[in-house]
Amino acid sequence: MRSLRVLILEAQVPFVHGGAEILVRELTSALIARGHDAQVVSVPFRDYPKDELFAGAEAWRLLDVTKAAGHDVDLVIATKFPTYFARHPRKVLWLVHQHRAAYELCGTRFSDFAHSERDVALRRRLIETDTRMLRECVGHFTIAKTVSDRLLKYNTIESEALYNPPKLAGRLRSGPYGDYLLTVTRLEHVKRVDLAIDAFEKVASPVRLVIAGDGSARQALSEYIDRRGLRDRVTMLGRVDDNQLIELYSKCLAVLFAPYQEDYGYVTLESFLSRKPVITALDSGGTLEFVTDGVTGYVCDPTPDALSAAIDRLGADRALAAELGSRGYEVAQDISWDHVVERLVGASQAAETVGASA
Amino acid sequence: MRNLPPLEAGGSEVSPTRAQESGVRRRILVAEARVPFARDGAELHAHALVAELRRRGHDAESVALPFHAHKSELLDQACAWRMLDLSSSNGRPIDLLIATRFPTWFARHPRKVAWVVHQHRPAYELFGTEYSDFTGSGDDGRLRQQIIDLDSRMLGECARIVTNAQNTANRLKRFNGIAARPLYHPPPIAERLREGAYGDYVLVVARLEPLKRVELVIRAMAHVPAPLRLIVVGEGSRRAALEREAAQSGAGDRIEFTGAVWGDAVAELYADALAVVYAPFDEDYGYVTLEAFLAAKPVITATDSGGPLEFVVDGTTGFVGDPDAGAIAVAINRLAADRSLAERLGRAGRSVAQRIGWDGVIEELVG
Repeated sequence: MRSLRVLILEAQVPFVHGGAEILVRELTSALIARGHDAQVVSVPFRDYPKDELFAGAEAWRLLDVTKAAGHDVDLVIATKFPTYFARHPRKVLWLVHQHRAAYELCGTRFSDFAHSERDVALRRRLIETDTRMLRECVGHFTIAKTVSDRLLKYNTIESEALYNPPKLAGRLRSGPYGDYLLTVTRLEHVKRVDLAIDAFEKVASPVRLVIAGDGSARQALSEYIDRRGLRDRVTMLGRVDDNQLIELYSKCLAVLFAPYQEDYGYVTLESFLSRKPVITALDSGGTLEFVTDGVTGYVCDPTPDALSAAIDRLGADRALAAELGSRGYEVAQDISWDHVVERLVGASQAAETVGASA
Repeated sequence: MRNLPPLEAGGSEVSPTRAQESGVRRRILVAEARVPFARDGAELHAHALVAELRRRGHDAESVALPFHAHKSELLDQACAWRMLDLSSSNGRPIDLLIATRFPTWFARHPRKVAWVVHQHRPAYELFGTEYSDFTGSGDDGRLRQQIIDLDSRMLGECARIVTNAQNTANRLKRFNGIAARPLYHPPPIAERLREGAYGDYVLVVARLEPLKRVELVIRAMAHVPAPLRLIVVGEGSRRAALEREAAQSGAGDRIEFTGAVWGDAVAELYADALAVVYAPFDEDYGYVTLEAFLAAKPVITATDSGGPLEFVVDGTTGFVGDPDAGAIAVAINRLAADRSLAERLGRAGRSVAQRIGWDGVIEELVG
C-alpha cells in the first residue's frame, strides 16, 4: 500500500480532554504504525452562545488543508462537528458525533436549544448545512452503530460503523472481583452519574461505588452524595492516571455505566478487556452495541430500582460476575485498528480511482 | 519527518508547585500557526512555552490552526483566526492568550499578549528580496499593505507586546510603529547540550530552505583543507539541490547530509564539532546560535544574519564576516589551525547563553 499524507481533523475544546481526543490520537498512531504520514489538525470549538457554532464552522471552511509544506495532502479524516466543513477532494468521514444539542439531545434537559422560533430555525439551518458538508465526503463511517443510526435519521446518509479498541487495550488485566462497582466518566450531566448514586440508596449487598473522572458537575455531584447521606458508600476520586485506572478496573466487581445516549464509550470495552461485566441502561446508546442483557452484563430501565437490582445480583454472586465478564472479554477482543485503517484509507483510494477514470 | 511528542493533558509529567504556592494558577492558551508536516523553530517555541508554563503550575494548552504560507491564503487564514472567540472554553474563562506569529494575534480574547516570533516575513522585511513571493504588482502591494495595517490593528488589541529578539522588535518598530522589547528564551534542547571534543568537523543545523543559505557553507568547503569535514543536519525543499552542489564542489567526500536529527542525537553532533556555521539571511532569533554556545562552540555568522548578531561578537564568541563562502572559509581555517581558540571562543559563548532562562520570560508574559 502506498504511504499517504493524512490529516486528522479535530474540534478542540481547550482544557477539556475526553474520549474524542484520545480517539484522534490513537487513529494518528495507528496510521503512522502502518507506514502513513499522519498528523492532527485541531481548531478550537465553542458551542455557546449558539451563534458561535457557525463561526467555528466557517473557520474550518476558510482553512486550506489540501496542501502542507509544499506537498499535497492525500486524505483528510473528519471526526466531529464542525471538522467536516473542511474542504478537500478526499475527505473521509469517521463521525464521532454531530452537534448533539441540535440533534438527538434536542428536546431533552441536555440541550440548550429551546422551542423558540429562533432556535428551531437555527437548528434546521445547522442540520441542512451539516448534510451538505457531510455529502462532500467520499466515504462515510462512524464510530458506532448509534452514530450511524443518527446520521441516517437526521441527514439521510448511509454509513458503516467502524469500532476501535480503547487506548488501554493491551494493558488492562483482570483481578479479583472486589467489593466495589466502578464508574469511569467525565462528570457532565449527560453522563447521568446522579442515577448511579441514586441506585446506591437501594443497594442491599455490601458493595460501594467508586467514581473516577472529573468535570464541570463534580462539585454538584459531591454535594448530592452528601445530601443523600451516601458519603460512606460512594467515593469520588477525581481524575486518575492510566495506571490507577487499570488497577481500578482489575479489582472491581463490575462497571456501572448508564449515560444518556452515549455515542460509543470506551468504558464498555475497557471493562470487558478487564473481564468485568457492565451494568447499563436501555437508553444508554453505544454501550448497548456490546452489552447483552444476562450475557455480558445487564441492560436495565434507567431507574435506581432496576440498576440496584442488577448490582445486588452480582453482589451476591461473584462467580456470575466472572462468567459475564469473561464473555465480554471475547466480544472486545475482536475489535482492531487494522480494520479501521484499512476501511478509511480504502475509501479514499476508491475515490481516487473513480476520479482518475472519470 | 517525525511528529512532535504529544503534550499530555494537565501537565502530569511535571509537578505543578510554584504557581500553586504563590496562588496564581492560570488557564493559558498559546496560539500557534502550524504548517502540517513541517517542523520549525516557531513550533518548538510554542511547544516549549506550554511546557514551561505547566512546569510553573499553570494550566496551559496550545491552539494551532494549520498555516499555509502562500499569499492567496493569508487573509482567509487571518479571518479564520478572527472567527475564534477564545475568551472561554466549556463555560470557564481562559485567563490569557499568548499569540506568537501571524495570524495568531487575530484571535479574539480580552487579554491577549503577543510574544512575536515573526510577522509574515514575505510581506515585511523580505519583500523585494528573492525570498518573497510578493511582486511589485498593484495587487500584491495592496495585499501587503492590508496585512501590515491589519497586523497593526490586531497587535494594537494586545495588552502587552514583546518579541523573541531585538531583530524582531526592530522590524515591529519599522513597519508597524510598535515599540516592544525582546524576551530571550533558551533553545529547546538546552538541557541536553554539553561540551565534547573540538573535533574534525564543522556543523550546520538548519531547515534546508533558501533563507538559511546553506550553499555558502558548502562552497566554503572547497577552500577548507582535508581532513576537516562538514556535517549538515536538517531537511527541506532544497536538500536535493544542496547535495548536487556538494557533489560538484570538489569537497563532496567531506560533506555529509544527515537529514533531520533531534534531541540527544543532535546534541551529540554539537558536542564534538569544532565550530558551528550559521549564516542565514536576516534570521529572527535563531536557536542554533545559543545551542552552539551551550555546547561551548564558537559560531561563524554573517553581517546580515540578523538575530545571531545579538549574541555573536566577532573575535570573542565567534566570527562575523561577509555573507560569502570566502569569508566563512577563512573563519573555519582559523579555528582549524588553533583549537584552543575554538575552545576559548566557545566557552565565552557558553557564559553568554547560560544567562538566558525561562523564569523571567514567564513572569513577563503572565504577570
